[in-house]
Amino acid sequence: MEMTGFHVEERTIFKRLDLNFILVILALNIIGLINLYSATHGPSSRDVAPLFLNQIVWLLAGWCIFFIVTLIDYAIVAKMALAIYVLNFSAIIYTTFFGKVALGAQRWIDFGFFRYQPSETMKLALIMLLAKILSTRSSFGRGMGFRELFIPLLILLVPFVFIVEQPDLGTAMMLASIGGSMILFSKVRKSILLSAVVIGMISVWGAWNFVLRDYQKNRVLTFISPENDPLRTGYNSIQSKIAVGSGKFFGKGFRKGTQSQLEFLPERHTDFIYSVLSEEHGFVGSITTAGLFCLLFVIIIRIAMNARDKFGALLCVGVLSYVFWHMFVNISMVIGLLPIVGVPLPLLSYGGSSMLTTMAGLGLISSVAFRRYLF
Amino acid sequence: MNEYISNPDEAKEYWSRYRLFYGVIIFTFIIFLLRLWFLQIVSGTELREFSEKNRIKQNKILAPRGLMLDREGKVLVENLPGFEAVISPQYIESIEELSKSLSPILNMEPDKIVSRIQKSKKQNGPFAQIRLKENLSRDEVFRLKRIRLDTPGLEIRESILRAYPLKENGAQLFGYVGEISKRQIPRLNELYKGQWKFEQGDIIGKSGLEEAIESDIRGVDGISFTQVDAHGRETVTQTPNVYGEQIQDQEPTHGNNAVLTIDRDIQVAADVAMRKLERIGALVAMKSNGEILAWLNTPSFDPNEFAAGPPSPQVWSKLINDPFKPFRNKVIQDFTAPGSTFKPLMAVAALQEKVITPTTIIAAPGMMMFGRRPYHDSIRGGHGNITVYEAIERSSNIFFYKMGIALGIDKMFNYISPFGIGQKSGVELNREVAGTMPSADWKKQAIGEEWQPGENLSTAIGQGFVTATPLQMAIAYNTIATEGKVVKPFVVRKIIDQDGKILREQFPQVVRDLTEEQKTGIKVSPSTFKVVKEAMRRVANGDRGTARFWQIPGVQMAGKTGTAQVMGFSADQIYAKCESRPMHLRHHGWYIAWAPADNPEITVAVLAEHSCHGNTGAAPIVRDVIQAYFQKYHPEVIAEALKKKAVKTSEAAVTTEGE
Repeated sequence: MEMTGFHVEERTIFKRLDLNFILVILALNIIGLINLYSATHGPSSRDVAPLFLNQIVWLLAGWCIFFIVTLIDYAIVAKMALAIYVLNFSAIIYTTFFGKVALGAQRWIDFGFFRYQPSETMKLALIMLLAKILSTRSSFGRGMGFRELFIPLLILLVPFVFIVEQPDLGTAMMLASIGGSMILFSKVRKSILLSAVVIGMISVWGAWNFVLRDYQKNRVLTFISPENDPLRTGYNSIQSKIAVGSGKFFGKGFRKGTQSQLEFLPERHTDFIYSVLSEEHGFVGSITTAGLFCLLFVIIIRIAMNARDKFGALLCVGVLSYVFWHMFVNISMVIGLLPIVGVPLPLLSYGGSSMLTTMAGLGLISSVAFRRYLF
Repeated sequence: MNEYISNPDEAKEYWSRYRLFYGVIIFTFIIFLLRLWFLQIVSGTELREFSEKNRIKQNKILAPRGLMLDREGKVLVENLPGFEAVISPQYIESIEELSKSLSPILNMEPDKIVSRIQKSKKQNGPFAQIRLKENLSRDEVFRLKRIRLDTPGLEIRESILRAYPLKENGAQLFGYVGEISKRQIPRLNELYKGQWKFEQGDIIGKSGLEEAIESDIRGVDGISFTQVDAHGRETVTQTPNVYGEQIQDQEPTHGNNAVLTIDRDIQVAADVAMRKLERIGALVAMKSNGEILAWLNTPSFDPNEFAAGPPSPQVWSKLINDPFKPFRNKVIQDFTAPGSTFKPLMAVAALQEKVITPTTIIAAPGMMMFGRRPYHDSIRGGHGNITVYEAIERSSNIFFYKMGIALGIDKMFNYISPFGIGQKSGVELNREVAGTMPSADWKKQAIGEEWQPGENLSTAIGQGFVTATPLQMAIAYNTIATEGKVVKPFVVRKIIDQDGKILREQFPQVVRDLTEEQKTGIKVSPSTFKVVKEAMRRVANGDRGTARFWQIPGVQMAGKTGTAQVMGFSADQIYAKCESRPMHLRHHGWYIAWAPADNPEITVAVLAEHSCHGNTGAAPIVRDVIQAYFQKYHPEVIAEALKKKAVKTSEAAVTTEGE
């Protein structure tokens, strides 16, 4: 920056980067890869073995995006936020009508080499646009009123409704959680919060009776008492709990988890990757990983606090919510605290969309950190 | 960009808002920590067991049941190795595909396979295995093995097939085996409490000895442990720790063998004799000490067809709808009027009560009146003036009507019930019926009416209320033959383990000796028995004996024929030809005899149902069985007699030539 009169020291790229942040991400990456190798190399899982190499490709691509985004001044992001949002939203509308059907829902656009899931990147687009809008609101005083809330809520609810319609309740809830966290962070009037709680309760009742599809209701019911129907919907939840618990303190050892290796765990390389980890590495491994995530969150908060502007801070808060809610919901469902919803564990679950989105989001934070110094 | 520089501290506005985030993160971490602690440390051991149960599949290794051997150690019931196709519903990925790929191999309709699996799933849950087909052919095994890997849920298991080399012969005696039904599980677990624990899929004895001596011949099932994946496929050993821990299989223990009193040769001879005349009915041959030598019922079923799972619906419905009841153990279940075979017992009572002496002559005209009803003799003209000897030899009705009038029902009851009529014999087999020996008290209790004097007459010739099973008649006649010894019939001689060690043994047992005072206050002197025995010898050997046409060279039999009326006929029909009636309305023929007449060794009872007559219907079969017995155990007696006869005829030939 071309300022004069102060003691100015030219900082190298490495000094500008938040290395702690990068190290924690790397640590989670390594845990993820070790674990994914185990999950994809069971005695009879030849069909999923190539996924491990795919994931390495996604991871490398993810780091490329991370550094590219780091080097881009996020002020440019602020300028492009609306465009990205509109583009992404169009993609969602496209999938709703022409997307590939997977598991009874339209979620994908097939590019041949890559199945693009616009609802996943929508989370980032929402974070960027919300950060831009919310950075113009003041958090002093009583907080936002109806007028100030109108546009943030609008850009949150419109994609939300479309994703619910796909139907992909998991992603929709994630979107709502991320947007909601950001809005709450920017302070909302107490009276509005109170009425939101009331409306929320009414809409849960309404959703249960009129909106939710049977399979979605079953997931919730199964969560409440999974033992009722151990071979159908409750099976996943029970097998996951068995996997986690049977790891005991030190775990069964790398590639020695019978629940995962013998395929009792469903979706073990995606949604249930954490049960594989818990089974093979026990209490020690699972609590270390959860701890690393928490450490990552603390680092992100620190970066947010040192951000040079409100938009940067809000970007950090948005990505923090993104990673936090995914991790929270995924681990909670794996250890039987929440019903089974198809939410991946960032950095650990297999999947290109999730990996690229997460790394891009973390890149945004890194970009904020990169510009934390005025000079 | 200038606005950022102009306001470098604007982001500090949020500082107070991050506290909530720290709170949420710490809270989340603590929740996860507690939950993981609970799952992995507190419930870790329990959940580890669950995961072991998941991967280790316990397969029951069915233990072979003990064999049944005859008195000489010849095989009556054995085991043969086989293969069966088993379905584990919890591993099925697509029930339609599974049934489609199995259908051409097992030659079963795909819909039927689907419905059977679904039915079992509904009834027994997804973990209960279904035996789809037993006794697979080599070709079937080979073809199933080829599709096994692509068909999760399918398994080919070695099995043990129960085999009955005598097939239909004695099927009701030996019984058959089959899969335990859900209804039977609690019942049998109660019955064999502390000894056996029955589960879905167990093979149990369903009838006959298989059922009656289940606890003696049942083996102890073993357990094999295999590691399986979530699809039920056995997994290969790769990494020692997970896959290598081989838990030792529990070997099954072979059931103990039962040595029966049955003589396979006599059993076969009996079957041949019964088939030769195509008789419906029951046959029991007993040694005079109560050891059963042969036991069969016709028509019959082939228990081998049941060993490989339930038979086809066609076979099943044919058996079930057969009016002559192939499953019925008629030897102890068909109770019918003994007819004239009752007369010797009446003679014992009359002689002992001194109603008559051996020389008392009684008039036996063709017809007599009692009250306002006419009573007819067995032949139109009557038998004339006869003693008890002729009365039995020729089977006079009028003679015994008169005995019945003279004795009255209570004396008849007092004398005849100790012979075992109206009581279960106590043979090992289940579902034996008692039959009826009526008395005045019995009628009052059972029917609520007073005893009518006319009923003394029908009872006296073995009609009316009196009914008996073939086994009871054999025991009663054996009592006359042995001059008073009521034996307990038995089939199981001993139970031996696989090394031949005797675990349980059964010896002949005399239940009562009628020459001693009985509970009913009677006592029969040996001289009385001797008179009746002689009369019965004449039945088989006398000039006018009703069974005189069926003799054995060198061996004298003693017995009595009888006819049990299936339904009453009006007077004009009494002498009408029985054979002209439809099969199911024809009379039953009885013949019960022992041999040798003076020194009994074997007693045989045949109830030839719907054969019209005791002599032509049953006597030839009894003769064949007794002859088979003597040919086996005393061949010299028959050989000598035949030699003598040959000499006689050649002498006669020589004389004729000389004339």
